[in-house]
Amino acid sequence: MVTITPQHFLILAFILVGIGFLGLLIRRNVLLMLMSLELMLNGINVALLTFSRVGNNLDGGIFVFFIMTVAAAEVAVGLALLVALYKKRKSVLSDDMSLLKN
Amino acid sequence: MINYALSMLFLPLLSAMVTLFFLRKNGNLASLLSVFTAGGILVLALLVIFGNEEDVLAWDTSWFAMAGWELRFGFLIDAPARLLLFVVAFVGFLIHVFSLGYMENDPARPRYFGGLSLFMFSMLGITLADNLIMLFVFWELVGFSSYLLIAHYFNTEEASLASRKAFIVNRVGDFGFLIGIILTYWTYGTVNLSELADLADFSPSLATTTLCLALACGFIGKSAQFPLHVWLPDAMAGPTPVSALIHAATMVAAGVYLLLRIDFLFTDQALVLIAFVGAGMGLYAGFCALVQKDIKKVLAYSTLSQLGYMAAAFGIGAPGLALFHLTTHAFFKALMFLGSGSVIHACHHEQNIFNYGGLRKRMPITAITFLIGVLAISGVNFFSGYFSKDAILLWSYNFNMPVFVILYAGAILTSVYMFRLYFITFEGQPRSHNSSDAKENSILMTGPLMVLAILSILGGYFSLYPERLSSYLSPDLSVFSELPNHMWMVVLGTSAWIIGLLFAWSFFGKVEDETDPLAKRYPAFFELCQSKLFFDEIYRFYVDKIQDPIARFIEVLELLLISGLMVRGSAGLAALFSMLAKVCYVGKIHSYSLWFILGTLGFLIYSLGLFE
Amino acid sequence: MNPEHILLLGSILVPALGSLLFFCGFPRDENGLKKLSYLIFGFPCFAALVLFLKFDTANGYNFEFLYDRMGLQELGITFHLGLNGVSSPLFVMAGIVGLGAGLSAIHSGAERLHLYLALLSLMLSGLMGLFASVDLFFYYLFHEFALIPTFIMIGLWGGRDRRSIALEITIYLTLGALISLGGLVALNVLVDSPKFDFPHLSAALSESLLLDSTASKIFALLLFGFGILVALFPFHTWAARGYDSAPTSVSMLHAGVLKKFGLYGLIQIAVPLLPHAAESWSQWIMWLALGNIVLLGLVTVAQTSFKSMISYGSVMHMGYCFLGIGACSALGAGSAVMLMCAHGLSVALMFLLASFVYKRTNTSEMSEMGGLGVKTPLLACFCIAATLATIGLPGFGNFWGEFGIFLSLGESGNHLPILIIAALGIILSAVFGLRAIARIFFGNESPELAEYSQKFPVKDLSRIEILPATLILFPLLFIGLWPLSISRHIDHEISNRYANIDYESTSGKPSCCPEDEDSSSLVPPPVE
Repeated sequence: MVTITPQHFLILAFILVGIGFLGLLIRRNVLLMLMSLELMLNGINVALLTFSRVGNNLDGGIFVFFIMTVAAAEVAVGLALLVALYKKRKSVLSDDMSLLKN
Repeated sequence: MINYALSMLFLPLLSAMVTLFFLRKNGNLASLLSVFTAGGILVLALLVIFGNEEDVLAWDTSWFAMAGWELRFGFLIDAPARLLLFVVAFVGFLIHVFSLGYMENDPARPRYFGGLSLFMFSMLGITLADNLIMLFVFWELVGFSSYLLIAHYFNTEEASLASRKAFIVNRVGDFGFLIGIILTYWTYGTVNLSELADLADFSPSLATTTLCLALACGFIGKSAQFPLHVWLPDAMAGPTPVSALIHAATMVAAGVYLLLRIDFLFTDQALVLIAFVGAGMGLYAGFCALVQKDIKKVLAYSTLSQLGYMAAAFGIGAPGLALFHLTTHAFFKALMFLGSGSVIHACHHEQNIFNYGGLRKRMPITAITFLIGVLAISGVNFFSGYFSKDAILLWSYNFNMPVFVILYAGAILTSVYMFRLYFITFEGQPRSHNSSDAKENSILMTGPLMVLAILSILGGYFSLYPERLSSYLSPDLSVFSELPNHMWMVVLGTSAWIIGLLFAWSFFGKVEDETDPLAKRYPAFFELCQSKLFFDEIYRFYVDKIQDPIARFIEVLELLLISGLMVRGSAGLAALFSMLAKVCYVGKIHSYSLWFILGTLGFLIYSLGLFE
Repeated sequence: MNPEHILLLGSILVPALGSLLFFCGFPRDENGLKKLSYLIFGFPCFAALVLFLKFDTANGYNFEFLYDRMGLQELGITFHLGLNGVSSPLFVMAGIVGLGAGLSAIHSGAERLHLYLALLSLMLSGLMGLFASVDLFFYYLFHEFALIPTFIMIGLWGGRDRRSIALEITIYLTLGALISLGGLVALNVLVDSPKFDFPHLSAALSESLLLDSTASKIFALLLFGFGILVALFPFHTWAARGYDSAPTSVSMLHAGVLKKFGLYGLIQIAVPLLPHAAESWSQWIMWLALGNIVLLGLVTVAQTSFKSMISYGSVMHMGYCFLGIGACSALGAGSAVMLMCAHGLSVALMFLLASFVYKRTNTSEMSEMGGLGVKTPLLACFCIAATLATIGLPGFGNFWGEFGIFLSLGESGNHLPILIIAALGIILSAVFGLRAIARIFFGNESPELAEYSQKFPVKDLSRIEILPATLILFPLLFIGLWPLSISRHIDHEISNRYANIDYESTSGKPSCCPEDEDSSSLVPPPVE
């Protein structure tokens, strides 16, 4: 039986963040990009909780609550923006949104 | 007594303001107000002069103070101030009265009389000022009122140019004067005239030629001496009474008055320089006057030459004689200018003397009074000019021979061009309709002429002067009466005007047509005199070919270098940078997030110290 | 709160509130708008005059008003108002020019008049505030209040190329303001003053060990920051272009009042706080100021348009103020304040009159005018008065300022060349001023003007136009005839501020003055 050490949790967190990051880079659909963002945030949450546990204090835990609240708000705003964009542009693909180009 | 002086000074300012604010449309009231003001000034001036017994009346009050430096507004009514005050108030009043007649049909009378009142204010200020800065203030103000009055007929190109020229040339002189005042303050620690006089006595070593020459720049500008003389002949574009008051009797003489006020600051070199500048102007202006055809220009050049006499008298160490000549000159030159005004008025603003002729029969009073003026300025025995001018000549004969020679030549010339003027204008037959229709003017105009004519005869009899007026002149005149060679001078002086008279008679006694007899006989000489040694052309060349191109060149340079290179250049630099930065903005959120992550990683690595 | 405080606060708040009202579109009818704006622009002027009359020169700041519960005390910032001898004349000047600009704006017939008046009264509020602030934070803040409407108004109502000019002026002035703010903050941080105002800074400076080199750097920040705001050569290009294009009221307020912010900062704060740094920079200041006077004077001579001539002329005369500052003496600084007051009035008057001329001729090109004086004698009269005031004729306030500055340059003999070059400026200004008068009002009518005036007959000034012009001209004459009326305020404060500075040769009296006690040495030895 392999003992589950904090390193394992950190590796999990790293993998989650990595998946989220790759998803953010590769996906063209803004909805999926938002989901990747969530994944990254959650990866970070895992890491924070791990440190909280290792360090024997509540700092990380408190941070996690904040992140979850902010993430919820962010998703709400992000989805609202997305819906608004879709209404205007009839597309949720990031390639169609390049107003900042040059 | 001070209240009289104060109200005398501010009365004309008040009158000018009232005219400006309330009487702009009412010519009759404005002119009456101005004349009554002038009368009031005369009464107050007489009160100030004769009303008190003290030799020097001084008074001052704080005017401007800044950081330990205080300027006081004060009066110093001493002997020279009293005499000039009398001349200004008296001649000023007569000219105001004359203006009533001369300007009766002018639509812009309120402006004219307002300007005259403003001038009286400034001129009285110069007369009474007790310090150099206050003098400078009023100095510039007379320049301004002269500008306004020269520009009276402002819709003519001539008046427009002449007024501007007068002001700017005066400013050039004032530039030197200003620097002189500042140097004086930092050398002596005061600009108060009486304190300066004490200090200069106390420590003569402080006086420097630079300083007094800088101050004399003011004189050169205002009294139109070489090389700033070019504005005075042009200033004749103004109405004739203005020329009489400002450009002959009072304002231009203020330059000489300034010299008298600060004579203790002058070094010997500076005095010699001024003597030669003055004497040179006496001769030069005489040659110019000889060939003019405009009646007022002849008189203007003769004013220049008489101012040269005053400067020369000052330069050879006889300031009293300079003031004496200033006084007699104010009488006879005002007389002649007003006489010319009377002629111009009668001849429907014709100013060319070759279009006159035979006016003696048509305008007897004007002709006789004018003749008295001519006799006085030519130095005919027992007229006023004879006493003042021959005194200067005798003084220079005894103390400075070269100056005497120049002045004597000038005296002969004066007599030539003055008799020329008289013969061409008043003798012979009328040469145009304007002169054959001429009629004598009303008493408003002939009255002042007669009064001035009497003064032009009596003005030279020094012993007739009340003691209050003559106290500045007496020391110099008593020295003068003891000089040798008096009889010899009488012979010389008499022969000077007789030579001039004969010369003028032979050339100009019978003028038939519009060409100048001198031009027929000696065309080369005539051309040379008429060129006036090209001063106007040189200044014109400077303005058109040097100053204006430099101004335009600097404007272009400013546009190119500062607006172009520096301002647009830095804008261009920013634009270049932005073009480089723009490459990164590809419009793909993926690449932005990649950059973001890479940046975060970079920061992480840096904070972990992996770069070191 | 006593009546003076109400007047002082009111002069700032009334235009600010008015701006809010105008912005919201009140009052709806045109007549009400006019009446309300008379009140709003009139009140600061009235308040300033009353305060000026009640002003007591005996102590530093009068009518002090302090509100320190702003939550910023930790930074040393309090809302602290008050007037001293230097600021009170400028405060009055701002009020008068503000009223003049307001009157001309009300009758300008600009499009979107509500917005125009709203921005203008906001600007006025800022101007009144900046001269009334003791606290340097608010001094700066009010300046920004006044500055931002300038950009918007030039951008919206400006003349030719208004966009690019608004951009240029924004960049220049923001940059200048930023640099000077950097200097002020650096000073405050380095000397660790408990409060951000002159008395505290001065006290803290005397105890702190500020290195000369640091002081010199801070002074450079202040000098060039403020210098850009005042159009010091060679940072002047925004000014001429900006005023040329700006609507009349903005030119009046900016060139007349707002531009004095930088000079005010230098005279009131920078030079008295950092006297030795100022002395080490004084040669720079003077030569750059000569650039203003001589080079820009020549550029002014070359101008063909009346309005751009006035613009360049106003920038040129700023050079004299800088000379006064560069002289590093109380006399120079005090005279510079005199000149600032008079210059503000005369420049505002010139811009106002230029708009009147433009209205009658429909052109700014002087070659297309001429002979206007026949039809508009009163306008000609005002223009001649304003021009002569600008070129420093005695009888107008500008003369005293310029003269005092020249006198201060003679103070130590080594400034003599600078004095002579600077005095050349009085000839240059006479050249361009009188040329303009002659070209516009004298001589014959140009064909263009004759054609235009056939379609639109030229009339002389109406009563509505006379009012603001007289309002500005009168104080100018008043200062000119009785300079002591404002110089005694300035004198007192400046002498205090500059009193503790030990320059080598500044005493207000020449060093070789024989009235000194040791004058006996000047008596020639008795002859044996």
